[in-house]
Amino acid sequence: MSRATMNIAAARVASPRLSHLSWLLLVLALAVGFGLPGVVASVLVLTLLTQAVIGGMLAVGVGFLIRQNGVVSFGHAAWYGVSAYCLGLLLRHDVLSAELALVLALAVPTLTAFLLGLVIVRVPGVAFSMLTLAVGQAFHEFAMKAQGVTNGDDGFAIPLPDTLFGLPISTVQQPETMFVLCWSLLALVIFGLYVTVRSPFGRLTEAIRENEERARFIGYRTVLPRAATYAISAFVAALAGLLFALYNGFVSPEVLHWSLSGSALIMAVIGGSRLLWGPALGAVIFFFLKDLAGNMTEHWPAMIGATVIVVTVLMPAGIAGTLAELFERLRKAGGRA
Amino acid sequence: MTGSPYAIEGTALTRPYGGFFAVNKVDIAVPHGEIRGLIGPNGAGKSTLIDVLSGRAAVWSGQVRMDGRDIGALGAQERRRQGMARSFQKTNIFPELSVREQLDIAARKAEKPNVEEVMDELGLSDLGAARARDIAYGEQRRLDLALALIGRPRVLLLDEPAAGLSMRESLGLATLLRDLAQRWKVTVLLVEHDMEVVFSICDRITVLQLGRVLAEGTPDEIRRSADVVTAYLGSAA
Repeated sequence: MSRATMNIAAARVASPRLSHLSWLLLVLALAVGFGLPGVVASVLVLTLLTQAVIGGMLAVGVGFLIRQNGVVSFGHAAWYGVSAYCLGLLLRHDVLSAELALVLALAVPTLTAFLLGLVIVRVPGVAFSMLTLAVGQAFHEFAMKAQGVTNGDDGFAIPLPDTLFGLPISTVQQPETMFVLCWSLLALVIFGLYVTVRSPFGRLTEAIRENEERARFIGYRTVLPRAATYAISAFVAALAGLLFALYNGFVSPEVLHWSLSGSALIMAVIGGSRLLWGPALGAVIFFFLKDLAGNMTEHWPAMIGATVIVVTVLMPAGIAGTLAELFERLRKAGGRA
Repeated sequence: MTGSPYAIEGTALTRPYGGFFAVNKVDIAVPHGEIRGLIGPNGAGKSTLIDVLSGRAAVWSGQVRMDGRDIGALGAQERRRQGMARSFQKTNIFPELSVREQLDIAARKAEKPNVEEVMDELGLSDLGAARARDIAYGEQRRLDLALALIGRPRVLLLDEPAAGLSMRESLGLATLLRDLAQRWKVTVLLVEHDMEVVFSICDRITVLQLGRVLAEGTPDEIRRSADVVTAYLGSAA
């Protein structure tokens, strides 16, 4: 085999085919999720972990958008909250079966995000971020003002059915079982995103992120893939919102507030968005740090802020990104030895 | 094809830039298979003209035709589908993707993908796995050109492809362009500051000055043109 042929073959290593290791990691992640409630005896810790996993899913959605489209959303709570409100309102008015309401609660924000994406992804950088903030706050304002529909600031309890897909509703309300469900879904979401980024579509969106103009000049329409990426990230956020609504059985305008979008962004920054699981790691750190600092002082946000500053300065790729770089360096050093 | 003798044609093209016209009622018509040089001093409107022809900049007034068909309303991606490709004055590649990955992405939009052929022609075969940002500048320039050559375009607009290259690399590129244009029957419109490259490979040359066509002719005619010598080439010509 000539050197040229070998290099071309090497370049094809990054093909969409998934390695055995990817499948093994997925199985391992699922096994950890199923095993953890047996190891962690404290319900409080499991509750915290469940919240962290739900927050992690929202952050994974935000991180995916940064990774694939190269833009930052300050308004992803919109899709999280719209999903929660959709489920709540559909069940409250008893217009559909709970299972169908779940599907709609995912479909509505995803489709809305896609249609909105067709407009806002044309706007670059900070302007895009500001638009997402505006959209998010518009939803929040609507939830606050539309008293007749949303019960305004007070929110409302979601009348959950007794069973869901044949399972008792307690499955989604007890931390022992809800943690397993959320963790498994998070693992599947990250795996699904991994498959997506390795697919021709994923490679194209990376190319567009790198150089949109060049992508157009090699024959691609760039708005559609960017809007689709935005919709995928919104879908992940919506799934997180749905889990939140099921777990808490309550929805209020807080789930649409910009501060939730900001928290998700902080999680993505702490964990790093280069790796798909980075934001999830950031979420776990965020929630435990919040809990730890919250027990010590009411000024816990200052400690989160300090963590963000430290991570941004010392680890621009985030904690997961830095760990990956370190692992890569060790691997290379091991290869040379 | 509509039977037009011209592969690419601009009629009365006008494009303002700031407070003046970067391109002002320019007529240009390049017959099929010709390599046309586009030269002129800085600010003459060469890059703007390429931008207007390629769809990077909108036509303010005038018409752009490809094979006789009006393509003025088409976006860059539609023009690419019609068989027009371009390279850029500043290297315009995908820095984080490998050489092979980006050529594969470009090939997905081509009717006849020819990644291996282009890599071979441009000496990129050994660099397939390399990340574009890690390869040498000259190789990045070749990659920029390679992205344009995927799918064997019928019309190739090149904006200073030899910019920043050594004399040896520039002449190598010129030979390659001449060769490819003949073998692949590509019509080329070439903006270039390196006069050695332009005069060695172009069939005809159009000279722009202050957004207008100053002269047009064979390389010999341009060399002898008093207007051109005065305005641009100087005594060195």
